[in-house]
Amino acid sequence: MKKLIVGAMLLGASTLTFAQPGCGVGAMIWKGQSGAAPHILAATTNGTFGNQTFGMTTGTLGCNTNESVQSMAMYMNSNADKIARDMSRGSGENLDTLAVLLGVEQVDRDAFRSLLKDNFAAIFPSSETTSGEAVDAIVALLEQHETLSKYVAA
Amino acid sequence: MPAPLRLALAAFGLAISTLTPADTAPNTSQLALEPGWLTLGHYRPNRFGNGYTSQADDQNFFLNPLGELSPKAELDATLAAIQLPGSGDGHARCRFPARDRWLRARLDLPEAPISCPAFEQWQRTLNTDTVTMVFAASYLNSPSSMFGHTFLRLDPPSDDQSTDLLLANTISYAADAAAHDSELLFAYKGIFGGYPGITTVQPYYDKLRLYTDIENRDLWEYTLNLTPDEVDQLLAHAWEIRDRNFDYYFFDENCAYRLLALIDVARPGTNLLGEVSTHAIPSDTVRWIVDKDLVSEIHYRPSAATTVSYGLDQLPAAQRQLAAGLAQGNTAVSAPEVSQLDAPSRARLLDATYDYVRYQSEAEGWPRAQAAPLSHNLLRARSEIDDATEPSTPPPPAIRDDQGHDTFRVSLGKGRLGDRSFSQLTLRPAYHDLLDPPDGYRRGAQLQFLRLDARYYTGPDELQLERLIGVEIRSLSPRDDFFSPLSWQVGFGGRRTDVGSDRVLTPYLEGGAGGSWALSPASQTFALVTADLEIDDDIHRGYDFAPGVDVGLLYQSPRASLLTGVRSKAWIVSNQHRQDQLYLNGNVHLGRRASVFAEFARERHFNRYQNLWQLGLHGYF
Repeated sequence: MKKLIVGAMLLGASTLTFAQPGCGVGAMIWKGQSGAAPHILAATTNGTFGNQTFGMTTGTLGCNTNESVQSMAMYMNSNADKIARDMSRGSGENLDTLAVLLGVEQVDRDAFRSLLKDNFAAIFPSSETTSGEAVDAIVALLEQHETLSKYVAA
Repeated sequence: MPAPLRLALAAFGLAISTLTPADTAPNTSQLALEPGWLTLGHYRPNRFGNGYTSQADDQNFFLNPLGELSPKAELDATLAAIQLPGSGDGHARCRFPARDRWLRARLDLPEAPISCPAFEQWQRTLNTDTVTMVFAASYLNSPSSMFGHTFLRLDPPSDDQSTDLLLANTISYAADAAAHDSELLFAYKGIFGGYPGITTVQPYYDKLRLYTDIENRDLWEYTLNLTPDEVDQLLAHAWEIRDRNFDYYFFDENCAYRLLALIDVARPGTNLLGEVSTHAIPSDTVRWIVDKDLVSEIHYRPSAATTVSYGLDQLPAAQRQLAAGLAQGNTAVSAPEVSQLDAPSRARLLDATYDYVRYQSEAEGWPRAQAAPLSHNLLRARSEIDDATEPSTPPPPAIRDDQGHDTFRVSLGKGRLGDRSFSQLTLRPAYHDLLDPPDGYRRGAQLQFLRLDARYYTGPDELQLERLIGVEIRSLSPRDDFFSPLSWQVGFGGRRTDVGSDRVLTPYLEGGAGGSWALSPASQTFALVTADLEIDDDIHRGYDFAPGVDVGLLYQSPRASLLTGVRSKAWIVSNQHRQDQLYLNGNVHLGRRASVFAEFARERHFNRYQNLWQLGLHGYF
């Protein structure tokens, strides 16, 4: 029943209960798991789009202290291909969830959706883009945006 | 000590001094047998003799060592413990908040404040406004899913803008099977006991990944009309049983059963558990919550497979071909046939193709090297189209799973086999066969358990067990340009078999595999290769084996169902004879409560021809 353990961890992520934001949260959660957990991930990532691993060493994510960004990263990691699909269409409940995790208010949701849709190719430059890299790209886009930058301020 | 706390302790002291055990002792025998208390303790009347036994298989669920067998002893212990001074996570009031609420309300005990940090944190985390029972429908080709599955979703208040149902939590109850247990051991322990059942909390998006994306089960979300107090009580009881073991049994004490208990606790007097007889099929439990007016709203969430089929069906024929070409890699995303389409059509084509590729990756294991670059191209092209309409979603089926026929079937028939007449009684506890009213069930799917056919022959008078099916599963699933599922069947039990001189009751095992093709939305034709094994000492060598074929036609509509075809088996071990059969079965449905059935079969076996006629009535209960 390792599945349950994974569930419990994601629950932790989704309810913003990170005790120690900072470098290595993702690594702490995903690294060093063996047995059933990677199999479950494999079952959901096999052949689908989005390489679902955190880019811990290269990305800025690991050291972003914004809890919302951490939560979004967690969600992204387990739902990358559904988010990518919604992003390409500019609508969908997974995209809305991303907005909720980042705390984007209703008035800014349209701007958020179209920003991600219009910059799809920048967020996912190739089929090998990891979810960590995609999160970094999203954060960078938001930071440059006039009204949306407030949601990713560290 | 801060003043409010001192005040609280004083109130406690007062509570204890005014309500000594001596005052309450006379009342508790009655109180302990009230449905509210029996539900909280998961007590059921003993099958033999008087008294009650709790279904909890965990000493930590009881405050009195004798609590498992004595509702009164447990009530007395609980009543004493919740009136003890003190607070904190270890206090009985924090461990059993639902019992505490119930007893206080029932006995008019003062509402003394208490601090339970862990429980309060849990409540805050779950942030529940309403509760939704989610029913995962069965999916074709997945026999283990045919009973369906249920769990509860805890919905946050809908007025705040951080509301998101994907992030809502769910409570489910499942067998905690060790990963290395084989299917057979899993089935054995599931039926006869041996697995601990545990309550788990998971986010809804995790559930969706499992049911919508991997298992391809449509979900029905039944929002319950529980009041805020009832929701609080449900959560408080969920907390009490959270880490407690209740042994898991497939048929009765299963995933659905424990959730019914939670609802019974939340709304005393509901008595959903009273509906459970021998088995609790999740689709039946959903029927009960609908019948008991517990549902305020129903929402349908199609599986990935349903969405993909719908998306492809919405495309014009030429674009369906284009989608197939794109998915197979024969047409490039940048090809002129694609780019010359107007923006909304192109968006629909790319959406449907991407969903199909993603589905095939999950279901058929398309290699990543093929699927990932294709997916990326499709999505990038899609992101460049701006003026597309929102993709349309599959409409909910007109008839929900809980609106289909009831699963317990009783049949009475009159018939003739050769030159002898008979009357037949058939009992089938569960679940659905190809000829039953199809609404609310998967097309082409059949699952029968413990079906018993008894015949009373005249001339000479004789009562015979004609057939006892252990399990019988058939899955006829049409193939097309995009999907190529296997159709298959498997079954075992006992049946009358002709050994040349007599018809004897013989244990059998049968199976088959092949394909099926849709002729219209309501009809399909199928061809299966079959294998039959019969074991009996009346058979010449003790057993016999027959490879064979079964080719037929199935028509299913709300008014009538028809199954006809030919079967041929070559018994090759003992009797060395062909057995050929032409069969024709038709049912006319009288609503969802009854069907008239008619059966004709002409069989050639041992170079003799024999006819079977039967006409009768099915009732669904």
